[in-house]
Amino acid sequence: MMSLEITLTVNGKSHTAELEPATALVDFLRDILGYKGVKLCCNTGECGACTILMDGKPVNSCVVLGADAAGTDVVTVEGIADGDELHPVQQAFIDTGAVQCGYCTPGFIVSIKALLDRSKNPTAEEIEEAISGNICRCTGYTKIFDAVELAAKQIS
Amino acid sequence: MAKAEHTVLGTNMPRMGGVERVVGKGIYGIDLNLPDALSGGVLRSEHAHAKIVGIDTSEAKAMPGVRAVVTATDAPDVRYGRSYIDRYILAKGKVRYMGDPVAAVAADSQALVKEALKKIKVAYEPLPVMVDPEETMKESAPTIHDDMPLPKNLPEGVKVKNVCGYAAVNIGDAETAMAEADVVVDEVYETRMIHPQYLEPRIAAARPEEDGRITVWANAQAPFPVRTEVANLTGLPLNRVRVISTDIGGGFGGKGSGVTSSAGLEPICALLALTAGQAVMIVLDKAEETISTTIRSGCKIWIKSGVKKDGALVARQGKVVYDAGGYSGFGNQAGGRCTQMVGGWYRLPNIHMDGFTVYTNKQVCGPVRGPGGPQATFAMESHMDSIAARLGMDPIEFRLKNAPEKGDGIVGVPKLRDSSLAETLRVAREKIGWGKVKLGKNQGIGFATGAWIEGSGPGGGAVVKVNEDGSATVHIGKVDYGTAARFGIPMIVAEELRIPTDDVTVLNVDTDASPWDAGTVGSRSMLVSGSAVKLAAEDARNQILRMAAAQLEASPEDLEIRDRRIQVKGAPSRSVSLASVCTAAHNEIGDVIGRGYFDSKASQADERERGSSQPFTTHAAMVEVDTDTGNVKVLKYVAVHDVGFVVHPKAVEGQIEGAAAMSLGQALCEQVVHDGQGRTLNPTFVDYLMPTINMLPRIEAITVSGYPGAGPYGTKGAGEIGSVPPMACIANAICNATGVRVRRLPLSPENVLRALREAGK
Repeated sequence: MMSLEITLTVNGKSHTAELEPATALVDFLRDILGYKGVKLCCNTGECGACTILMDGKPVNSCVVLGADAAGTDVVTVEGIADGDELHPVQQAFIDTGAVQCGYCTPGFIVSIKALLDRSKNPTAEEIEEAISGNICRCTGYTKIFDAVELAAKQIS
Repeated sequence: MAKAEHTVLGTNMPRMGGVERVVGKGIYGIDLNLPDALSGGVLRSEHAHAKIVGIDTSEAKAMPGVRAVVTATDAPDVRYGRSYIDRYILAKGKVRYMGDPVAAVAADSQALVKEALKKIKVAYEPLPVMVDPEETMKESAPTIHDDMPLPKNLPEGVKVKNVCGYAAVNIGDAETAMAEADVVVDEVYETRMIHPQYLEPRIAAARPEEDGRITVWANAQAPFPVRTEVANLTGLPLNRVRVISTDIGGGFGGKGSGVTSSAGLEPICALLALTAGQAVMIVLDKAEETISTTIRSGCKIWIKSGVKKDGALVARQGKVVYDAGGYSGFGNQAGGRCTQMVGGWYRLPNIHMDGFTVYTNKQVCGPVRGPGGPQATFAMESHMDSIAARLGMDPIEFRLKNAPEKGDGIVGVPKLRDSSLAETLRVAREKIGWGKVKLGKNQGIGFATGAWIEGSGPGGGAVVKVNEDGSATVHIGKVDYGTAARFGIPMIVAEELRIPTDDVTVLNVDTDASPWDAGTVGSRSMLVSGSAVKLAAEDARNQILRMAAAQLEASPEDLEIRDRRIQVKGAPSRSVSLASVCTAAHNEIGDVIGRGYFDSKASQADERERGSSQPFTTHAAMVEVDTDTGNVKVLKYVAVHDVGFVVHPKAVEGQIEGAAAMSLGQALCEQVVHDGQGRTLNPTFVDYLMPTINMLPRIEAITVSGYPGAGPYGTKGAGEIGSVPPMACIANAICNATGVRVRRLPLSPENVLRALREAGK
């Protein structure tokens, strides 16, 4: 099968790798580059578990072709902490009890980081809007909402 | 009981494993990286009911890169199941739902697997498809299982077919009491199938080892039952089967185990690996998962109650028809529990219920979060409001009038030691502002209570190894998927050994090393592993104090552990470090290994003797109904629970909020939809609607205290009971807002609007 070579930046590191044209970005990131923090779930862009930042914007990496990520700057959940120091959102998830099974957590953390990058004091509506594309089956969202509020407080 | 001197219990310790999860380093089943593993896949039936006339695998087998192709004839002639042993891991002779596994392939790549599955030619002879259990249980219906008998406990004279479970409640004389009642209310309710839709897909991986053993990786809630199943279905003895639990991305009963979840995935994977002589990993696609793995069944509930004018319930009669699906799965257990719970948890002296669990040609019933309970409660607690309305009574007062008290019996519990139901009702009434808050147009408030009777069940053990530096490594049989295993369990060890929680590691399950356990099911992590780990830590502590006593020339009873030291109580200068005692153990007993177990028989005997304290709950919702669209907006939601002593408040709240949210999903939108041929019409997340944050209010979880349960320190299970009341709670709030009673789930815009129009509104 034909394959292409692309170059992109992931979490500040440049990668050049080969992939088949039909490979979804989620599979490229997980299986070829090894970023398994990007979670695979619905494959239809509905659940948000595979959310990453692409040039600063949150996208569902299961509905983006890997090839379309050529030349972009990608941030996954693995790239959000500052070395050993957790990002306030990550710490807030732990402190508020927002991590149950934790499978949706990476996607939420990426979506929320994007929110807090653009809005330091988000309103309840902005919070709901920012994570309305992420499904969590464990928490009922209450503690996740608490985590966003706590993280926003820590940042500002 | 919880004591004031607890230093760890009752605090919100950070969840063990939290850091790796927030940085994306959790290794879930789907993240396993087995070098040289083949990809595996399953061929699923395209008919809901058909004879298999022949399977031709020759073309698939001949494909380069295909390493194993298996069908029923390659597997031992062994069936599995729970009440009814009615299922092969790969369908034999017949398929019974669209999604039934027929064959499996292992190949060098996932693309090759898909291609090879297409090359397997299965000749089917279609049979009549039965999707409605009411039709299927008629004597004239086609037979779904030729060699499965009707339940042995079926009453004489009952003419049914395709029934794989019967449950009855018989208390007092319901017929006479009904005839003597002042008011009789008779209703019918229906619920639909939902899928648990945990986010992490099910996986199985298996690797044949050089020494004749097989290693299986599973993201299953019950690794030991998986081991049993793999052993039985491969013919290997248990000591040659090792099951390792991965991190698990949600389960809710759906990953209960091979047997209870009826996915059969681990044995199929093991069969492929043994055939190929190489490691194989299967990952289910989400749409494949929705049609093939186990679900919360739909059911139909007839409920009729008799009351006196003063509001005293005197009689209940009813019937449940519960959909098992193509195999019995967990249907008998869930249908039986549903039947009991329609009987209710109020003081009710005369009850007669019949519950039938019925085969159909749909996917199989599993033990999804509170199996049978949410459906029963949708009917039972909606019905309670209907009765209150007929009597002109306040719904809370009506429930308080009938709430059980200390010494009363309720269905499934001969004697209550105490009862928190009335307190949860009063607190919920207060918190939602019933009678106080001003409601707008088309706004209403509803309540529903819930119970989740904790009864008999398997025991289970724990091992607490105290290392030479004084830290503890803990084995339990329950897995971690956000439940007690890595919230409350490490806290118990820290509390009992008086060591920091950071010094405690609770391992995930490896059947080669962990104590046996039936699985992380039934809200029993705290009861089973919590009880066991408390005793194991005490056992370890006693060993440590005995050894320290010799060094300190004191009696073990006079010693205590504090700040990683062992000291004489009241004379802290006479002390020795915990590490030195545990290191010196090498010269004496080797190492400190505490063992404990939950003794289920003893616990049951105690409950019989003293009566039992059960968890109860009341939920309250405020909703607004859009009478033009039928859309229901939940404005406020309060969940008041008695779960006994609370070890980790945020973990308990999280369980309650999550359970409530899942059932709110079923209340408002969720359902698996089938056509008349048994085809699932909404298998992907595009069509299967689940609540997102903007559909739900922030759920307020509140606990009441003072009713210690059977678990360690007086805990009770908290994982499932929150899923019990929401559907009725929302239905009651809609009725309060509009005057219209909706008796069919989901309470979707379509169904609510239809009900409003039928009522002329």
